Amino acid sequence: MRPKHVLVDLKGQARSFFRIKSNLFWVFAFPLLLIVIFGAIFSNMGSEAVTLNVQNLDEGPGSQQMLAALNETGMVKLKFISPSTDLDQYVKDNSLAYVMVIPANYSSNLASNVTATVELRLDETVSTSGTVFNAVNGVVNAMNLYMAGGDQYIVIEVGSIVQKRFTFLDFFVPGIIGLTIMTTCVFNVQGTISRFRANGIFRKLATTPMTPFEWLLSRILWHLFISFLTLAVIMGFGMLIFGMSMSVNLVVVLMIIAGSAMFSALGMIVARFVKNEETASMAANAITFPMMFLSGTFFQLEMMPSYLQQIAKVLPLTYMSQGLRDAMVYDNLADAYFNLAVVAVIGVIFVIVAVLITRWEEE
Amino acid sequence: METVIEVRGLVKRYGDLIAVNGIDLDVKAGEVCSILGPNGAGKTTSVEIMECLRKKTSGEVRILGHDIQKGQREIKKRIGVLPQSFNAFDYLTVKENIEYFGGLFEKRIATDELIEAVQLQDKRNVWFTNLSGGLKQRVGVAIAMVNDPDLVFLDEPTTGLDPKARREVWEVIRKLKSQNKTVILTTHYMEEAEVLSDHVAIMNDGRFIAMGTPKQIVDQYGSGSTCIVKGANAAATEAVRSAGMAFESNHGDLLVRMDNKGSLAKLIGLLSSSEVTYDEVLIKGSSLEDVFLKLTGKKLVEVEQ
Repeated sequence: MRPKHVLVDLKGQARSFFRIKSNLFWVFAFPLLLIVIFGAIFSNMGSEAVTLNVQNLDEGPGSQQMLAALNETGMVKLKFISPSTDLDQYVKDNSLAYVMVIPANYSSNLASNVTATVELRLDETVSTSGTVFNAVNGVVNAMNLYMAGGDQYIVIEVGSIVQKRFTFLDFFVPGIIGLTIMTTCVFNVQGTISRFRANGIFRKLATTPMTPFEWLLSRILWHLFISFLTLAVIMGFGMLIFGMSMSVNLVVVLMIIAGSAMFSALGMIVARFVKNEETASMAANAITFPMMFLSGTFFQLEMMPSYLQQIAKVLPLTYMSQGLRDAMVYDNLADAYFNLAVVAVIGVIFVIVAVLITRWEEE
Repeated sequence: METVIEVRGLVKRYGDLIAVNGIDLDVKAGEVCSILGPNGAGKTTSVEIMECLRKKTSGEVRILGHDIQKGQREIKKRIGVLPQSFNAFDYLTVKENIEYFGGLFEKRIATDELIEAVQLQDKRNVWFTNLSGGLKQRVGVAIAMVNDPDLVFLDEPTTGLDPKARREVWEVIRKLKSQNKTVILTTHYMEEAEVLSDHVAIMNDGRFIAMGTPKQIVDQYGSGSTCIVKGANAAATEAVRSAGMAFESNHGDLLVRMDNKGSLAKLIGLLSSSEVTYDEVLIKGSSLEDVFLKLTGKKLVEVEQ
């Protein structure tokens, strides 16, 4: 092996890579765009109060007490509908997902020890309906307990499973790093091989002293560099724009190395077996798309049906994303090392296969 | 003179298909040798075996004194190749592309010298993707020359180019010849082979069907000269027929074969008759195209279609 040949190819890649605008988009702009979009959608989920429309037909102190208690939960922000308004029409005109009605006899019933009722209308298809129900239910239970003069024998103390307080982005960003490394490596390597084959560049290289191994090594090293650049750009963006704090340790570095090699080799294998440029691109899509959605990049694996979770277990991106998350967010080094080992073993197998099957010479 | 290429009984099979069927070839140092034939004739397969790009099925091939299987490392150092349909790196400039390939060899020619040789001084900093077809081929030839090779393979370097661009590439090939490089040129343009080559091998269905200098091939396989009497009237046709001369009629022209030295004088005598009228008389020698037609029964253009 001659390092000079590897350096020549690395220099050539460095020069041409940044001149292709689509490379810059997919490697840098696309993951940042995903972070901004998903960050905006999910980052405040659960922490912002839900607006609850209330039509209070009662003029007594009982309803005021209840509304004050609801306000104190911080889970709902109350918006009042005039008692004279036709509620059904109002709900229809404003497309409301939930509305609470306190009937006119609410306070008088409470005072007379007769069961008082509040009406809660919900659209269960809206995800925040649960928040509204929990808020109202919690207040009603507490008031019942208070009026019954009961003691609280059991109380809940809420704590976080993770050591620090994490946002959705802290979960999301390691997944995006893994996803970007996968797509960059697989598509760039597969695309390069298909293009070089069609353009006669491989036939030309085969007549030079450069060996296929030197070329493959150069391509893997280049994508390793791009992967670290991706890591730096995504983390820098997260820290500057969203104030995230993430740690980069040895496991993260090793995971990036193993993951880049694994996905670069996967791109080589795809390009070897599917020689037509367009078909190879389709094959790469067919391999990466399921991984993109089933490997826990956008949401927790536990949210998926069990059969999909079984499929996720055989996808390499699952281990890379989870390993990065364990190492960067949860400080769970034991699991991070396990995930790293899985990625490293798959990576070594893929690289060996790629080296064995990659040919420049025609058959 | 040193023999640069020695091929004996070369065969290449793909399953039942025989792409190259037992060819022999000798090329001396400093020669431009053209392998001529239609698509599918086997010329690219033959050349790619000589370039160490394909494995032969059987036969012997020695390049620059080295066996093609055992001496690939030495051969690769001393050959330059422009593969068929070659495109360099799209987003590297002319200069960067030449530097890239030059960096892979121990012995190399200075980039500026090569750029000058293919007359691309004003395009040196232009991305390859932005060059015209002819300029791209000139870059390809410069890249084939980066290691100052003793033997240069140019596989269909002018296919798809317009006549002007084709002639520009011819100039570069002539320059290689003037530098005493041995050049193997594959082409399906008869004129190109005729103009550029010292030695021509015509290939069809995996075999060489004629070999030698263009003149030798034409002399051996050609049909002699043809006298074309343009705009000949019926009396001219009758006079030629009555004289027993071999001829063909083609859209009012008479194509009369000149079988021997006396044929021309005889024809001029016939055309001197007061009843005979014609527009002009041309004499055309046999060409490689005629030879191909004679040997295969097909015109090269028809074969291409």
